[in-house]
Amino acid sequence: MQTYKAPLRDIRFVLHELHADPDGPVLPGLEDFTPDVTDAILEEAGRFCTERLLPLNASGDEEGCRLENGVVRTPKGFPEAYKAFREGGWTAMGADPAFGGQGLPATVNKLVEEIICATNLSFGLYPGLSHGAYQAIQGHASEELKAAYLPKLVDGTWSGTMCLTEAHCGTDLGLLRTKAVPQGDGSSRVTGSKIFISAGDHDLTENIVHLVLARMPDAPEGVKGISLFLVPKFLPRADGTPGARNGVTCSALEHKMGIKASATCQMSFDDATGWLVGEPHKGMRAMFTMMNSERLSVGIQGLGAGEAAYQGAVAYAKERLQGRSLAGTRRPDLPADPILVHPDVRRMLMTIRAYNEGARALGGWVARSLDVMERHPDPAERRRAEDFSALMTPIVKALFTDLGFEAASLGMQVYGGHGFIRGHGMEQYVRDARISMIYEGTNGVQALDLVGRKLPAHAGRFLRSFFHPVLAGLDEARADEALAPLAQPLGKAFGALQLATAHIAQRGMKDPEEAGAAATEYLRLFGLVALGFMWLRAAKVAHTALKAGTDERAFYEAKLTTARFYMERILPQVAGLLAAVKSGKGAMMALDEAMF
Amino acid sequence: MAGIRKVAVIGAGVMGSGIAAHIANAGVPVLLMDIVPEGAADRNGLAAGAVARMLKTEPAAFMAPRAAKLVETLNVEDHLDRLGEVDWIIEVVIERLEAKQALYRRIDAVRRPGTAVSSNTSTIPLDALIEGMPEAFGRDFLITHFFNPPRYMRLLEIVTGPRTDPALAATVADFADRRLGKSIVRCKDRPGFIANRLGIFWIQNAIAAADDLGVPVEEADAVMGRPFGIPKTGVFGLVDLVGLDLIPHTTRSLRAALPAEDAFHASYREMPVITALIAQGHTGRKGKGGFYRLNRQGGQKTKEAVDLRTGAYRPSAKADLPALKEAKGPKAVLDLPGRVGAYAWRVMGPTLAYAAGLVGEASDDIAAIDEAMRLGYNWKWGPFELIDRIGGAYVAERLAKDGYTVPPILAGLDGKTFYRVENGRRQVLTAGGDYKDIVRPEGVLRLEDIKLAAAPLLKNGSAALWDIGDGVACFEFTAQANALDEQVMALLGQSIALVTERYKALVVYNEGTNFSVGANLGLALFAANIAAWGEIETLVALGQQTYQRLKSAPFPVVGAPAGMALGGGCEILLHSDAVQAHAETYIGLVEAGVGLVPAWGGCKEMLARWQSNPAMPKGPMPAPAKVFETVSTATVAKSAEEAKDLLFLRPTDGITMNRDRLLADAKAKALSLVEGYEPRKPVSLTLPGPSGALALRMAAEGFARRGIATAHDLVVAGALATVLTGGEADPLDTLDEDAILALERASFMRLVWTEATLARFESVIETGRPVRN
Repeated sequence: MQTYKAPLRDIRFVLHELHADPDGPVLPGLEDFTPDVTDAILEEAGRFCTERLLPLNASGDEEGCRLENGVVRTPKGFPEAYKAFREGGWTAMGADPAFGGQGLPATVNKLVEEIICATNLSFGLYPGLSHGAYQAIQGHASEELKAAYLPKLVDGTWSGTMCLTEAHCGTDLGLLRTKAVPQGDGSSRVTGSKIFISAGDHDLTENIVHLVLARMPDAPEGVKGISLFLVPKFLPRADGTPGARNGVTCSALEHKMGIKASATCQMSFDDATGWLVGEPHKGMRAMFTMMNSERLSVGIQGLGAGEAAYQGAVAYAKERLQGRSLAGTRRPDLPADPILVHPDVRRMLMTIRAYNEGARALGGWVARSLDVMERHPDPAERRRAEDFSALMTPIVKALFTDLGFEAASLGMQVYGGHGFIRGHGMEQYVRDARISMIYEGTNGVQALDLVGRKLPAHAGRFLRSFFHPVLAGLDEARADEALAPLAQPLGKAFGALQLATAHIAQRGMKDPEEAGAAATEYLRLFGLVALGFMWLRAAKVAHTALKAGTDERAFYEAKLTTARFYMERILPQVAGLLAAVKSGKGAMMALDEAMF
Repeated sequence: MAGIRKVAVIGAGVMGSGIAAHIANAGVPVLLMDIVPEGAADRNGLAAGAVARMLKTEPAAFMAPRAAKLVETLNVEDHLDRLGEVDWIIEVVIERLEAKQALYRRIDAVRRPGTAVSSNTSTIPLDALIEGMPEAFGRDFLITHFFNPPRYMRLLEIVTGPRTDPALAATVADFADRRLGKSIVRCKDRPGFIANRLGIFWIQNAIAAADDLGVPVEEADAVMGRPFGIPKTGVFGLVDLVGLDLIPHTTRSLRAALPAEDAFHASYREMPVITALIAQGHTGRKGKGGFYRLNRQGGQKTKEAVDLRTGAYRPSAKADLPALKEAKGPKAVLDLPGRVGAYAWRVMGPTLAYAAGLVGEASDDIAAIDEAMRLGYNWKWGPFELIDRIGGAYVAERLAKDGYTVPPILAGLDGKTFYRVENGRRQVLTAGGDYKDIVRPEGVLRLEDIKLAAAPLLKNGSAALWDIGDGVACFEFTAQANALDEQVMALLGQSIALVTERYKALVVYNEGTNFSVGANLGLALFAANIAAWGEIETLVALGQQTYQRLKSAPFPVVGAPAGMALGGGCEILLHSDAVQAHAETYIGLVEAGVGLVPAWGGCKEMLARWQSNPAMPKGPMPAPAKVFETVSTATVAKSAEEAKDLLFLRPTDGITMNRDRLLADAKAKALSLVEGYEPRKPVSLTLPGPSGALALRMAAEGFARRGIATAHDLVVAGALATVLTGGEADPLDTLDEDAILALERASFMRLVWTEATLARFESVIETGRPVRN
């Protein structure tokens, strides 16, 4: 039996205490989202997800999706839950009011996504994909296409997909073969096969809008010859309702390790009617504009998994009685002490907790930069936020999903054998979390993006958006007696990050393979320092609150303790990572290919 | 003939007046004469007008305005008899044989016997020029073919006839070499000599091939530029620069003069596009634009290019040729599939063949042909160096396959290369199939030659130290663009120790395009972006200490710059005992441009120089004010001569006109300082303190009010003012060098933190220019 409660207190901490900028301007368009309003939204999200989505998580996993007569059926209860989700206005959260959306700040949006993913990741993918399609259309499509499709995507009566991958190409989309032949009337005929298409077909909505990457007949080779097309399952009639069936079908469902209630489809396009979105051959650009937001969302999935695993593990650690505390019996009234007394169980729980709260804080910071880059009145601030989100996106995606999987695995470990069997639902978290390290660009690709694109951009300018605030925060904390003990290890780790960064910039400039060889460890090192900085800031807020007097002492004291745990037990990993980064590609690349 | 002390130039057109200006640059008086136009009020008007124009146009013909005073503007009607005063008469009149010969007869009547007479003709053979002239005239006559603009183009083609007195020709050549700084290439008396004959052939082929293959001009220039070591103007950009009208003109005279079997004729083609462009006044940059133009219609500047097929302008788009970027070296470009490779070969194949055909025809010396193209067309590699890079067999085979005649020297290569290094000496193939040493003109010392035969004394990734003989060592910057970094400072520190122990003197010199453009901004920006402030401050301090050690070293140090010497590259010169500069040296402290202050002792040394300048009024304020004026505006001297006015060079510093003679001159200067050398003593300075800084800031605010200075300029100027006025100094105190250095560091570190300074760094790195913020 999976248990979960939305971590609303910590979410409020991130939203209103950690990243609140009382001196900054209220971002234009977000004036209505006062703390009262956002708290109510989050509370309602917590209620809805726990009541409607959580109960379907295990059953959906057990039952999976089925392909019947060319149509995909989602597990029992999904259509009803989706209807309620849609009617609750949740599909409209992050969308533009011009198309019926609610225009929520990205910060709030991403935290709601955490709750959805924690309760039912498979379910969350359906509206998640729709939102991706929404962004691509909104950013690049013609006014006609926007008017015809966006309101339906926003109100959730239609859903969306992103059709990128083909059997022979995933990461290297330049190789893709799906064809699109313009018909001279503005439409094109799309033909080809796609695989791994989440929500490719299902019974939740009356129509499905596929965004398909394809190549036009006159296209240049490689990624510069890829265009984006909108291909609906049913061609809309003049009145906007779904009409004739288009030439797109789900040919098979993928059999997979996790997220079984999510329909992962093989799709066939057979002379399907579609419309170009954006300019010819500029399809990758349309993809990239939504990439930051999408990758941040996938990172948040990792956080959701971590939070679900934490709550499950804590519940068990409190009730499961095994052995006695090494420090002497705690509960003589019981046949054994709860396993929470054991240091190793503590280690696991504290680790997950430190990851989760740190990640929530960092995710909130990056999400805020999405709002700032879109809305801030000062162009310099907008640019800084854009630099920051570009820099941190691969880190959030890879770090959060790595840690989410690790957390799920630790959560299962707390249960021992009871975690490995199905009943408690812990093994599902492990299976479901695993995909987030792979899709939307594998974590290895994220690391390459970080060292190959983000690091060298504008002679390191993106880095400034992170390194300068961290140094300023450290300088401030060093001068503060209460924070100095945390600033000391973080300062050391920050120095390691500077060294690693300079090392990669220098070596990688001469030999890109050196940068590639260091990428994954570097990303982790960077991510751990970023979480450390979040913990320093959290500790500062907690100290201030405690000093000012609060009736939530336990909450803030727990923050301080977890911050200390993070600095003492997790952050020291950066020393090893730095050593690995500096060792270079030597041994990694030396072995003759024939020896593999 | 004893030597050349005074020169006359007849013909005050662009070339003639430019030659006169350059002779004046050498400090030699020159008479500039032209005809008297009908009804002219000022009978010297043509020459006087030319000088006035040259004082206004960029790039400047004069190295300093004062040089113009050496040019006496006259006319050939009233002043021809004054030719008796001069030792060399240069004729630069219209390219018409009769006009030239008529002039020669008039000259011959008034010149002193033994006065050299030369023509700057670009196409008329010497034989024809002196036909019918007296025997003695022929003895004193030669062709000296300058390239435009005469100040900047280093090539001088010299043609002598069978009658020319070798001693007289040697005197002219020596003067041109040492005083005018030219590299002399001796040519046979054949039409177009070497550079233009091959250069025009190349241009003609490149235009025709672009037309045939449908290659847009941007793409043609991208292919025919950098990949072959040719300036990025390529072909069409070059024609725009020299003037479209020159092409049919030169082509016509070459066609008239060359024998029928010459390959030049076969490659000739009527180009209606060019004719039409010229007719519309699109003669290139001097006219309304040429193959490229800036269209200012509608208040917007759009770069446009000509569509060769239609002759109409269309918006210009940078050629997007990823394969070209990937291609490593000229051969890889020739091998590219499709239009790019085809075009490259269609142009370069015949051009290289034509060059090979010039051996024995225009010159017997392969190295001379290469030199002519390097210096006359600014090619990085001459045609034979290119063939060596591409592979002689490859070129010969591909030419034969395409039905071209393979010149004998190319056909007979048999696996040999045109150049080789043997026993530490560079050798070149002769027409006879043997190799001979490449012999430099007497007294020329080149580091590149030394490097062939020796290993460096010290070396790291950014600098090297060489033994250049006679107990003198040479410190060379070697990083990209000769940028200065921590490694340069480290090696300089080691070099000081080594020279102290084992050498008599040190020369700081290199053979890059630019001496040094200063500190490596990319590294600094990256360090700033990752908040590595400690590293930045350490590097600032290291540079200060190292330059101080250089200044106080127990041996003489001579800086020998050529090209740009900016920022840290200027500061090392300021710390040297003496400088021997190439005339074309552009020195400046440009830190303010990127939002910084000079902090490797530049402020300190400039203050010391101005304060000890006898021409300055007394008191603590004049020196800081003077330095502030130069440094806050990032002023760069436009020549070594001008650098003396700004005190980047001392009055006693030497200037070498010939780039190839710079090292030898610097070495001689260093050796001259050895005897009795005493290390320089640190200076102390009396500076005005805060009230002085206030005055300087107010001056800067005045500029800001007039819209000349930006907001961040004011911040930078304020920080600079603090340094130059001694910070919190009391006007009664004296400050030592360390105190000024500490102020430099503090101001530098304050500025490098600012977003605006980092934005300037970034734009310099990405666009080459600082953003005005």
